[in-house]
Amino acid sequence: MLAVEEINRAGGVSGREIELVCLDPQCQPRRYAELAEQLILEHRVRVIVGCYMSSTRKAVIPIVERHNALLFYATPYEGFEYSRNVIYTGAAPNQNTLPLAGFMLTQFGSRVSMIGSDYVCPYESNRVMSDLILERGGEKLDETYLPLDAPWESYLDAAKRIKQLAPDFIFSTVVGEGIPHLYRAFAQVRLDPYRTPIASHMTSEAEIAIMGNDLAQGHITSATYFQSVGTAANLGAVARYQARFGDDQPTNMCWEASYFQMHLLADAIRRFGSDDPTLLLRVLPGLEFDAPQGRVRIDEHNNHTYLHPLIGRVDARGRFDIIGRAPERVKADPYVVSHSTPAWTAQAHPELARAGAYR
Amino acid sequence: MKRAAQTPAILRDLRSLKVVVIHPRDQDCEELLAQLQRIGCDVEVCWPRLDALPCNTGLVIMAIRPEALSVDYPWLGTSTSPPVIPVVTYENPITIEAVLQLNAFATIPSPVRSFGLLTAIAVALTQFKASRSRERYIERLEQKQAKVLVIRQATRIVMDSRGMSEEDAYQLLRSQAMLKREQIETVAGDIVKAYETLSF
Repeated sequence: MLAVEEINRAGGVSGREIELVCLDPQCQPRRYAELAEQLILEHRVRVIVGCYMSSTRKAVIPIVERHNALLFYATPYEGFEYSRNVIYTGAAPNQNTLPLAGFMLTQFGSRVSMIGSDYVCPYESNRVMSDLILERGGEKLDETYLPLDAPWESYLDAAKRIKQLAPDFIFSTVVGEGIPHLYRAFAQVRLDPYRTPIASHMTSEAEIAIMGNDLAQGHITSATYFQSVGTAANLGAVARYQARFGDDQPTNMCWEASYFQMHLLADAIRRFGSDDPTLLLRVLPGLEFDAPQGRVRIDEHNNHTYLHPLIGRVDARGRFDIIGRAPERVKADPYVVSHSTPAWTAQAHPELARAGAYR
Repeated sequence: MKRAAQTPAILRDLRSLKVVVIHPRDQDCEELLAQLQRIGCDVEVCWPRLDALPCNTGLVIMAIRPEALSVDYPWLGTSTSPPVIPVVTYENPITIEAVLQLNAFATIPSPVRSFGLLTAIAVALTQFKASRSRERYIERLEQKQAKVLVIRQATRIVMDSRGMSEEDAYQLLRSQAMLKREQIETVAGDIVKAYETLSF
């Protein structure tokens, strides 16, 4: 939304303004399909941005393919997909799970507990993590899946059980509303995040704002963007974001991908002066942009994006202290089955000791 | 459904899989190549003839086109030929018959889409491997069966000629085999042959 306003304030694209048509599919995959078709047929929309969970993206893909529309998808997902009508700007597993696995297994050890929400993305992330643990002779202590609407008590039970197992770290693929429950449960059973952190690739500033900084502090997330990134592009974008939406509103990975993909789209439209997806698809692959995370590029062959993997640990202010970063942007490899962890995650020598006094 | 502890080897080894694509250079072919490259396979294309497979070919993807139905691929159907996944453009009986002759475990419909190729490859490789090991198992069983038959015949001959019990006759065969450092079925075969020679 911020990107659209910026683009329009700067004169729009090819003399016209970008207009957002917003519909709310209420998290139901079927509604996503219906509304996507409604956008295309009734609102004459050619380009759709959105979808969060994989099931909603899968529901929209046949629609955009049938009508030759274009979907921009900004969420990290589990890989193994390519549609010529989708541009993927969130991280693929080799850009978030893999750096996280390499970092955690090297820095904390390879006795791991896994907890996730019960759907496809966590299963796939845990498969990758399990293979890497086995390769290192480590041990997968347990693997728990909770329904997306699981109550707080289920998280508390899981936390008690996991504490008994005494893992080196907890790999969490819990998404959405479960995230605050999870962190609160671990705080309640008094697991010290500086010794046994939760490592996640989904927990962002947005979830931390909901659960509160004290619950999140010390836990670790892998993402291709944190609000604390120090690029000039990010400092400017965060300032504009907070001026527009409020000083206390944090930015996060999904926002950042949505933000830069809108700018990429505007650039592509400017090249042809048209929003015809067939024309856009001729320029989008290979297109680059100075995103808040750094310079990104849409790959010519797989429609995914070169991104900048980071490892962050939550500090007392609820921001991510960046304790590991890839030396350069990383090409998305959505079809890699057998992973090897990037060298930089083993070579990172972060200051893992607790900053400040023991609470 | 129970999940395996580790990712299947067939999927883990995809990046070293050599795929030969026998396909005319058209839209389908481009789609195939692009997706195979995304998956990370090592790909080689030719059309329509291919007299010898490049070494280490692990999979062949082949367009079934009317103009190529008469092309002879000498490596097809041999004991060393890799699995073949046909790309099917027609569904008439002639084409389907050609598909059946290839002994295919999976097919790719034309127009080719990126989605589905990975699953087709995984199914084809897995079923092919299972079928090969079943064939080998059956072969071993057949050989064993033949041996058992000869040993039984020889035992019967020894029993009749020496008036021995079945157990004693078998033990005699066994000790003879050990003495001559031969396998028991070899000794048994000699006895059966000798008996057949004597009783014209």
